[in-house]
Amino acid sequence: MTDQATDRPSALDQLPGELMMWVLIVSELLVFGAGLAAFLAVRITDPAGFAEAQGHLHRAGAGVNTIVLVTSGWLAALAVQAAEAGRPGRLRALVAGAIALGAVFLVLKGAEYADLAHAGITFETHAFFTFSYLLTGFHAAHVMAGMILLAVVAVPASPRAVETGAAFWHMVDLVWVLLFPVVYLL
Amino acid sequence: MTVTRAWLALLLLSAASTGLAASGAHGAVFVVLVLSLAGAKAHVILSRYLGLSAAPPIRAGFDLALGVVLVLFAVLAIAA
Repeated sequence: MTDQATDRPSALDQLPGELMMWVLIVSELLVFGAGLAAFLAVRITDPAGFAEAQGHLHRAGAGVNTIVLVTSGWLAALAVQAAEAGRPGRLRALVAGAIALGAVFLVLKGAEYADLAHAGITFETHAFFTFSYLLTGFHAAHVMAGMILLAVVAVPASPRAVETGAAFWHMVDLVWVLLFPVVYLL
Repeated sequence: MTVTRAWLALLLLSAASTGLAASGAHGAVFVVLVLSLAGAKAHVILSRYLGLSAAPPIRAGFDLALGVVLVLFAVLAIAA
């Protein structure tokens, strides 16, 4: 092997940000992808029951939450640019906005859970709810983790740290745009 | 495409998904359209928010994997 060959950048060198964050992103996509595929596979056994159960969810609220999350992701992406431009004040304001929208997402999700609980709907009411609680609950836990991570990386405000925190936040966004149509629309 | 244009594209795609669902449409065409919109949103997030537009071969790999997953979702949804 020549020196020229060993110096050639690999495809992985093109990855923006931390490699470990990409490993996490791929892992999370695999986990949620498997969960959503299982949800759709079980749905084949009882399509009428799943359709009836889906009617109890807040479809409009989930649609609003999609707007909330993609807007939060936009603020996080702008925060990365502010970090790279050496503007910590703007960066922290943008991260605060992204975290606030994460809180809005959780409030809307919490309202849906409260209504389901009020109607006496639990994990065990129907297979639809077992899956929907697991998938959306696991996702909501990631939203909470992402909010904490964004707050932590905004303190040192280094471009590398902010890029890593924002990548986690975009992963949360990415999972939601796949989860939303499967659980709420189909 | 800037991140702001990506955000606007995501808003438009989200509005299209919501509009499609609100139309009361159903069946195989509805499934394919809704999942295609989800795939388009995922592509925008990967490309612009996560910066894979700077790594076209890796983005192509993600697009291929997502495409396979979405086809699986469509087959399962249509089979129900």
